[in-house]
Amino acid sequence: MPLDPLSSTFAALADPTRRAILARLATGEATVNELAAPFDISLQAISKHLKVLERAGLITRGRNAQYRPCRLEAAPLDDAIGWIERHKQIWQERFDQLEQHLRDIQRAQKEPPK
Amino acid sequence: MNDTNTTLGELEFTRIYDAPRELVFTCMITAEHLTHFWGPIGVSTPIENITIDPRPGGVFETIMVNDEDGAEYPFRGVFVEVVEPEKLVWTEPDVEGGMTSSLTFTDLGDGRTEVVVHQSNVPEMYRTPEAQAGMQSSFDRFAAYVAGL
Repeated sequence: MPLDPLSSTFAALADPTRRAILARLATGEATVNELAAPFDISLQAISKHLKVLERAGLITRGRNAQYRPCRLEAAPLDDAIGWIERHKQIWQERFDQLEQHLRDIQRAQKEPPK
Repeated sequence: MNDTNTTLGELEFTRIYDAPRELVFTCMITAEHLTHFWGPIGVSTPIENITIDPRPGGVFETIMVNDEDGAEYPFRGVFVEVVEPEKLVWTEPDVEGGMTSSLTFTDLGDGRTEVVVHQSNVPEMYRTPEAQAGMQSSFDRFAAYVAGL
C-alpha cells in the first residue's frame, strides 16, 4: 500500500543512518561515496537508504550519471514539522476547552434549585 | 499546561483539573460532553458526529467541522483498554502506522484530577538528529524543534 507523503517522510526519518545522511546534506550536496564515508556499511546499503529518502522527496539526485550528487529538499520536512505543531496545538486547545466545560458543569451543579 | 517529551518517539501532555476524577473521566467518554470540548478552537464536533463505545474493541469516531468553511476532519480510533475511571487507551489505525494514545486519570485527593495523555508510535521523527553545525533552511528549524521537545 503506498504511503501518504507525510507517512513516507516520517518513515524515512525513523532511521538513524538516514537522519545522519540528511544532516550531512544540510551542509551541501554530496555524492554517494562521500555520504558513505563516515559509515561502516556498504555502498549498496547507502544506496538503499538514498532510495528511501528520494522516494520520500527528502532528497533529489543530480542527472549526472557518473556521480549523481544528492541534495536535501526542505518542503517535506516543513510539512512534518507543521504536522507535529498542529497536533500539539489541538491537544492544548482540547484541554483548555475541557477545563472550561468542567467549570461550567460544576457551577451548574452547585446552583441551588429555584 | 506541561508539555514534555518523554522517551524518543513518544509525546506526553499533562493537565490538572479542578474536578473529581469520575467527572473528568465521564467527560472523556460521553458524546454529550465531548461535543463541548473535543474542538479544537475554531472547530466544532457536533454530537451527531461522535460515536463512542468505551470498551476494548469499541470505536471512538468523530468528525470535526471547521466553523469557517465547513471542512471536515475525521478522527477514527479504536479502544484498546478501558479501566473506569482510571485509564483509556485507543489507537488510530489511520495515523502513521497506528498512533496510540493512553490517558491516565489520577485522583490527587483534594478534589483535583491529573490527566496525562501519553502518545506512542508518534511519528518517529522526534528522535534528535545528529547535532550538526551549519544546517540551513528547514533542516535547521527541524533540528531546533526536535531539540526543544
